[in-house]
Amino acid sequence: MAVVETRSLTKVFKEGELGAVNSVNLETREGEFLVFLGPSGSGKTTLLRMIAGLETPTSGEILIGGRVVNELSPRDRRIAMVFQSYALYPHLSVYKNIAFPLKAQKVKKDLHKQKVEWAASLLGIGALLDRKPRELSGGERQRVALARAIVREPAVFLLDEPLSNLDAKLRASAREELERFHRRVGTTTIYVTHDQVEAMAMGDRVLVLNKGVVHQLGTPTEVYDNPADTFVATFLGSPPMNLAELSDVIVGFRPEHFRPVSSVNGEAVAFRFKVENIEYLGSEWIVSGTPASGKLGGQKVFSRLNSAQDLSLGGTYDFAVPQRELKFFDRSTEKRVEPKVVSWQ
Amino acid sequence: MAKKKQEGRSRRDFIRWTGSGALALGAASGPFFLFPERAAAQQKTLKILQWSHFVPAYDTWFDGTFCKQWGQKNNTNVIIDHINLVDLSAKAASEASAQKGHDLFMLLSPPAAYEKQTIDMTHVYQEVEKKHGKKIDLGHKSTYNPKTKRYFAFSDSYVPDPGNWHKDWWADAGFPNGPDTWEDLRIGAKKIRDKSGHPCGLGLSQELDTSMAMRALLWSFGGAEQDEAGNVALNSKETIEALKYMKALYQESETPEVFTWTPPSNNQAMLAGRVSFVANAISITRQAEREHLPIESKIMVSRALRGPVRRIAAEHVMDCYIIWDFAENKEGAQQFLIDYIDAFHDGFVAGQFYNFPCFPSTVPDLKKEIASDPRATPPDKYKVLGDVLDWATNVGYPGYGSAAIDEAFKAWVIPTMFAKVARGDETPENAAKAAEEEYKRIFARWK
Amino acid sequence: MAIGRAKIKSVGAAQSPLLGAAMFTPAVLYILLLVAGPFFLAIFYAFSDARIGNTEMHYVGLENFRSILKSPSFRIAIRNSFIFTICSQIVVIVGANILAIALEKTFRGRGFIRFLILLPWVAPIALGAIGWKWILDSIYSVISWVLVALHFYKPFNAPMWLGEPHLAIASVLLVHSWRLMPFSTVILLAGRTAIPKDIPEAAAVDGAGFWRTQFQIIIPMMRPILSVAVLFGLIFTFTDMTVVYILTAGGPFDSTQTLPSLAFAMGIQGSDLAAGAAISLFLVPLLIIIAYFMLRVAHRAEVN
Repeated sequence: MAVVETRSLTKVFKEGELGAVNSVNLETREGEFLVFLGPSGSGKTTLLRMIAGLETPTSGEILIGGRVVNELSPRDRRIAMVFQSYALYPHLSVYKNIAFPLKAQKVKKDLHKQKVEWAASLLGIGALLDRKPRELSGGERQRVALARAIVREPAVFLLDEPLSNLDAKLRASAREELERFHRRVGTTTIYVTHDQVEAMAMGDRVLVLNKGVVHQLGTPTEVYDNPADTFVATFLGSPPMNLAELSDVIVGFRPEHFRPVSSVNGEAVAFRFKVENIEYLGSEWIVSGTPASGKLGGQKVFSRLNSAQDLSLGGTYDFAVPQRELKFFDRSTEKRVEPKVVSWQ
Repeated sequence: MAKKKQEGRSRRDFIRWTGSGALALGAASGPFFLFPERAAAQQKTLKILQWSHFVPAYDTWFDGTFCKQWGQKNNTNVIIDHINLVDLSAKAASEASAQKGHDLFMLLSPPAAYEKQTIDMTHVYQEVEKKHGKKIDLGHKSTYNPKTKRYFAFSDSYVPDPGNWHKDWWADAGFPNGPDTWEDLRIGAKKIRDKSGHPCGLGLSQELDTSMAMRALLWSFGGAEQDEAGNVALNSKETIEALKYMKALYQESETPEVFTWTPPSNNQAMLAGRVSFVANAISITRQAEREHLPIESKIMVSRALRGPVRRIAAEHVMDCYIIWDFAENKEGAQQFLIDYIDAFHDGFVAGQFYNFPCFPSTVPDLKKEIASDPRATPPDKYKVLGDVLDWATNVGYPGYGSAAIDEAFKAWVIPTMFAKVARGDETPENAAKAAEEEYKRIFARWK
Repeated sequence: MAIGRAKIKSVGAAQSPLLGAAMFTPAVLYILLLVAGPFFLAIFYAFSDARIGNTEMHYVGLENFRSILKSPSFRIAIRNSFIFTICSQIVVIVGANILAIALEKTFRGRGFIRFLILLPWVAPIALGAIGWKWILDSIYSVISWVLVALHFYKPFNAPMWLGEPHLAIASVLLVHSWRLMPFSTVILLAGRTAIPKDIPEAAAVDGAGFWRTQFQIIIPMMRPILSVAVLFGLIFTFTDMTVVYILTAGGPFDSTQTLPSLAFAMGIQGSDLAAGAAISLFLVPLLIIIAYFMLRVAHRAEVN
């Protein structure tokens, strides 16, 4: 039995307009960390809010623990949510913030202290219990929000971009902490983000959304290596997958597979490649330029290399893509199709 | 040349506002309101302030005829301002504090408190008496201070305060000629109330009409606020009897509406065909005539009611003109008053007999004139007022209308005393005692 | 370049103090002439034997205070001032919260309803009070008329809203509340709108129902703005005399008298300036306390 399931879930904000969420079918797996990934406006937050009960679906069903919960208010859905802003209650101490769900759910009073301390120690904020939210750092606030979410032992955690308010440095450590936290509590978690790094790093599975439509649901490897369509192919990866239109198909290949001929083994497609820009990123180099001839002639193509010291700006080199790394997409539907033989000339 | 100027509401409200808040009490009394004036060359100006008369025809005559002609004759620009009667005292206070204002200011009760800021009217009285004979005692008592032997104001007229009763209901109750005594009133009002529900309309509120009616009741039973020498004499067994009477009358025949009334309320209640009896001037019947209300022929006028001791009532209002000692045209103001008495008969007619003369010779045929009034149904409705001087007296009776009496009047001590007893919130004995103490406190402040 | 800049700077420096002075002079004048002046005059009068008709006055010490403390009307006025002020604030805060909650939601005609609710605040207080006087009138009251028409009361026996002491007190309270409600509603509405939507949503997810969200989250969060509304309301009601003066003139028999209306009745109408001033000075201690709290709230708002 899936913890969370949606059936043809649709949300239309304004009549006649395209739905913010269109007919989403989804089933979570017990204890998994599921990430909703998509650009802003993709409907990922709306989807999450419908699951939380903060938004009423236009049509479709939401099931939590096998029960249709469309008509239930948020408090009856056995969920916990962490908001982007954390939504801590500013006038209450950390202790009271964490205890609030217990009070609201009418948990016996004598259990409060024990539970709050358990949640606080789980997140390492036992020393902050007397503080007010405004006296906390961003990371501490996030931990308080998590403690408040965990304290009532929900069936599912809903996290709405909880790292986006942190600075870059803090974000990496907070991410790690979140992962560790999830491993410890093992509660099914739905995590919304627009950041593909977070999605790839944390997700057991990733649901890629755009314009309210599910493009792909799969493990990080699946969505990266085998994108279901051109949107997923270009949304994931930085720089994104190189795409080329060849007669009736679109062919794509990742920048890391576009390398100098000398380092490519086996069957491959080769190009003359004119280097126009070189970026040094420390652990890797991003080289961009245009193939000098053939159907890709004049189109910008990226290459990701461990070393580009042999290349110089303006020079033309022989580059190649292994045949097995080519992905093929239908030109009209932009969906993945079987590999084909195509002419590059 | 006369110009009628209506006072704007905003400034009066402003005075009221500022005059009340702690932070601004002085504003009404400080010299903040200046009245710039611009007189035409050589032409004098006379500024008069008086109430908006209950009989509007009087104001038409006063402003449009008398003042206009007087102004032309005396080469004076006469400016007349009319304000609502309830605002008169606040207006007078602000003028006195600002030491600036109108030359001639008419109040509706003896303004003894202003004596030090008004000129002595002895001269005006003498001039008028030369032509028109002696003034009535009521006028004398209302404007004279026996201690300083000065007239602080000049009274041209007073307004009787008779009873008004509904003819049919009283006839039904066995009083075809209306109530003549307070005992009649109690019996008849109860019968009417029991039979038809119509209550009696003797006010018990903090307002002028109540104050006058309650004083009439008090005196009729032999009580008084002060003795002839001006000592507080309120707490007496006569006062307690009057209080007991009012309690019985209220509980048998009245409703709590009487606690809410303002001066026009009893007029409205009578004209709306709601109440069986009120004590008020003849403004009620005059309005009924003016507006041709069907109830006009039903409302009759009675003399003051007779009590166990005497038949007596206060004047309803007392016209009291003062001339500020800071007035700019004192001579003109005095001459105006002297000339005004010459024309009093015209005013008496224009005011539809509302104001009765303080100099009876100015209306020599008063009895005959009021006995046949073509406006009234029946025409002899007002005939009963012919002997008004036998039963009308001044506030402060049997003493003078002093400043202390005036403050006690404005503090509504008498209506409050009667109202508390009528509602049963206070025993007559305690109420009389409390009111006596309040009178003593106020009298002490004017020693 | 450097010279030019210095020049500009010196001109600016010479101008700005003058400009500043010009900008705040009207406020200072207003305070001196219409607040400070009358205030000190009132203190001066309260210790004198000032009467309206007298230009001279003498120092009489505490005589005025002694005299008014003896007056039963004064004791009622003190009591009423507190009853009206405190009770109307309770009614206003409860009512304004309800209205603010209702108006927070979007619905058809919300703009119009907001406009209607704001009307009592925009209309001059005297006009509103006169309107209520007629609504509660002894003869023409529409309320009584309806009650009689519905046979709740017999003609002539409908309640006299302004005639029974308790009803009159309730009526004055009601009108005060009616008058202040829009002001508080607007303030509270602003306060509510300022709370991020996340907070009530978090509370909903945490399991709080409507009442818990209101009383444990929203209203505590609005405490600063709520105190502004309350403090303003306290001052408006405590110092107001228009409502009482127009509705009841202090009646029936002094049962609705307040400090301002009594100060006016005794001081202005009764010609006893000194007594009126002494009565009005009793407003000062409470106003100072309120002013202290207002300044504290304002200071906190500045700091945050």
